[in-house]
Amino acid sequence: MIQVEQLSKQYKLTKKQQQELQLKTNSIFAVDDISFVCKPGRVFSLLGPNGAGKTTTLRMIATILKPSKGDVLVSGHSVVNESVEVRRKIGFLTGSTNLYDRLTPEEIVKYFADLYGMSKSDFKERKELLFEQLGINDFLKKRIGQLSTGMKQKVSIARSMIHDPQVVIFDEPTSGLDVITANSIIELIRNCKKEGKTVIFSSHIMSEVDLLCDDLAIINKGKLIYSNTMEAYRQISANQSLTETFIQLVQQNQAQ
Amino acid sequence: MHTIITVIKKELKDTLRDKKTLFSAIILPALAIPLLLLGVSSLQKSLIDKEKGKELKVVLMNAPEAVAQQFEDETIRLLASQNLDNAKDSVANEVFDAVLVFDSNFKKNVDSLQTGAVQLYYKSTNIMVQRRIEEKLTAYKAVVLKERMATLNIPAPVLEPVRVETINVASAKEQIGETIGGLIPYIFILFCFMGCMYPALDLITGEKERGTIETLLTVPASRFSILIGKTITIALVGVVAAVMTIAGMVIALNLGSGIPPSFMDTIGDMLSVKFILMLFAMLLPLSFFFAGILSAMVVRTSSFKEAQSYVTPMNFVVIVPAMVAMMPGIELNWQLSFVPVLNVALATKEIIAGTIHLGHFAVIVLSLIAFATLSVFISYQQFSQEKNVLK
Repeated sequence: MIQVEQLSKQYKLTKKQQQELQLKTNSIFAVDDISFVCKPGRVFSLLGPNGAGKTTTLRMIATILKPSKGDVLVSGHSVVNESVEVRRKIGFLTGSTNLYDRLTPEEIVKYFADLYGMSKSDFKERKELLFEQLGINDFLKKRIGQLSTGMKQKVSIARSMIHDPQVVIFDEPTSGLDVITANSIIELIRNCKKEGKTVIFSSHIMSEVDLLCDDLAIINKGKLIYSNTMEAYRQISANQSLTETFIQLVQQNQAQ
Repeated sequence: MHTIITVIKKELKDTLRDKKTLFSAIILPALAIPLLLLGVSSLQKSLIDKEKGKELKVVLMNAPEAVAQQFEDETIRLLASQNLDNAKDSVANEVFDAVLVFDSNFKKNVDSLQTGAVQLYYKSTNIMVQRRIEEKLTAYKAVVLKERMATLNIPAPVLEPVRVETINVASAKEQIGETIGGLIPYIFILFCFMGCMYPALDLITGEKERGTIETLLTVPASRFSILIGKTITIALVGVVAAVMTIAGMVIALNLGSGIPPSFMDTIGDMLSVKFILMLFAMLLPLSFFFAGILSAMVVRTSSFKEAQSYVTPMNFVVIVPAMVAMMPGIELNWQLSFVPVLNVALATKEIIAGTIHLGHFAVIVLSLIAFATLSVFISYQQFSQEKNVLK
């Protein structure tokens, strides 16, 4: 369960940045007072154009950034006051994440398991399951630098799922991947849903959203402009494609 | 603690698999001094031997027989030339190595107990020519002097009213401390810093450049422990680089044949357990100090290139105090004991010479620990700021 409550992230601007952005205020809201709830066993999708604040929102949920205002409760723990508790519950994966080139898949996964403080037996059991599912055993001893993008992505998945998190956060997980590799991510999200995990992912690819998501929110310029179930969204876009509806909603918001 | 060890284990494995780090932290420091000592000294020796054995083309003008005799040497070819201007040109064009023009009254003056004048034309780019010609003239001078003293009936002591016998009471240890003592800390401090530099870039900036830092920040392990783990790794590589430098030096000294055996014994004594312990007591905090400063500097950079442009000028900041310590007349005192880098360099000199003041040593170690703590603290502060850590 993720409860986002009136979440804001404000950045101070230097004089130079103010001039560049032609703003009179000395601060800017990357995320401005947004609230939504992601439920266990459901996939929540965060949509928005580039620079809308998707990554900032997900980073605040993942405790990488501190909110300026508001709070997020992850499985009942506040990201502001109980960040360590939150970190135990979450798995975080971004499309841009790289790995340590000079280590092997096994070493990387072990490193993160140790950082999560997993016991040896838990690690072994979980590792065997994940490596089997993802087919990592074929290139277990190779260094990351020698692997293909698809193989690396599989290792990234294993790395972020090793501690069996209740809540998984994916920031544009399929960006830059070919369809075959992207499919491994889609499979992963489906499995997470089956296991009753809470899943939130950001994207701007409508087909992916259509395929996977149960609830969605659209943000633009840091503000929440739409939040409902996928069912409801499909209804409002009855006469046009999902993408067209998305563009329409964003443009209406921009016109305001 | 668990996190720190986990991070150190991972970072060491990662670092030791990196060829660039291996080269700059282990291979280069180990080879630097042997190559420097053996390479340069043998090169110098072979060049000097070559110069000495080289045939000199010399023109003597108006030379008296007695002088010309001195130049009868198989490495000197005497050539004739009547025209001074042509001869001078030939020296400039390196056809002749030297032209000696004796004054027309030379023989007369010398015979009448006066001074005979001779002009030596040579090209200043080759100092060995001048030296070799002057050797011959000095030999001639000695012959004339001996004759004159015999003629005038002057016993040799008349011309040597004072004879100085110098006896250096400094022990061999102190002499080494003074001569190479300054060079040793200079080199190992430099390599210690360079050893820290590459891992600092790789472990801090590299994590940002690769985009691995984000995931690292979502683990429940404390960020402080992660940073400490990284700092310890960086400092360890620095210490290893310094140790390799010293090891290389020991090997070079053992191979070098130019050192008298008594000095070798002294050097053996110097590398006692006490010397090594005292050196390490300074090296460890120094290395942490470097690691802390370098981390703090590179935390805000998001690419290797950017980080390098910050860090490269730091080399000078380290070199200058280490060089100052090599200057004669600079000695360790209470004030200088607080200056990082300079204090280590000066203390190493004194430890080698066996003249270290334990009070100074204690101040150095404690102040270095304080500086190291401070630098690690600053680097943690930098690391805690989200604007620094994320790209």
